[in-house]
Amino acid sequence: MDESEDVPKDFIKLKSEKLSVDEVSELVISPCCGAVSLFIGTTRNNFEGKKVIHLEYEAYTAMAESEIKKICRDVRQKWPSVQHIAVHHRLGVVPITEASVIIAVSSPHRAESLEAVMYCINTLKASVPIWKKEIYEDEYSWKENKECFWANSEK
Amino acid sequence: QVSVLYFARSAELAGLRCETLWVPRQVTALQLWEEIVKVHPRLAVIRDQVVFAVRQEYVLLGDQLLVLQPGDEVAIIPPISGG
Repeated sequence: MDESEDVPKDFIKLKSEKLSVDEVSELVISPCCGAVSLFIGTTRNNFEGKKVIHLEYEAYTAMAESEIKKICRDVRQKWPSVQHIAVHHRLGVVPITEASVIIAVSSPHRAESLEAVMYCINTLKASVPIWKKEIYEDEYSWKENKECFWANSEK
Repeated sequence: QVSVLYFARSAELAGLRCETLWVPRQVTALQLWEEIVKVHPRLAVIRDQVVFAVRQEYVLLGDQLLVLQPGDEVAIIPPISGG
């Protein structure tokens, strides 16, 4: 048996190519785990009655990766049995219905990976420096997550 | 002398993504903001929405004293929308 599969790993990637659910799940699958939980964030085609043509994402890449690493570290503190964590986020143009983010977590039993995935996406939305622009038919809009941790503190 | 990075709406208002600026070595976050707005007055409209990232750590626009080294990276961070 390949013992290196048992060392917990974080797989973090920001990329402009289409994300793959198969690829992300396979990263976290491990012989010691009975559960893999997944979150996929996909792009909706409408916002407040306006038709969304596509989304564009940009990132402060180096800091986004380090903030995601912090999230992984927090996950491992809160749920020590978590094995592998994968966070893939797409940058650039994302067409409607395609995935902008995929998060996968493996653990021996299902409760930890389910909770950890939820924590990852909620915390990502609050603290990772990535920005989304919604492109409509005749205008665009920079979105703001309500989770953004400073959003209300400076008013 | 620090590198200032602009993202999202702040890059659109400033008209650029990065530049080098001369700033005092010791400065509060708010003072640093004022220095940047002198160079790019259009940024003033987002003052209540942004934070800084100094050496990739978040800093609110307030009285916190920043000790800057030459070549440090300072980023303007508008409200985020990842995920």
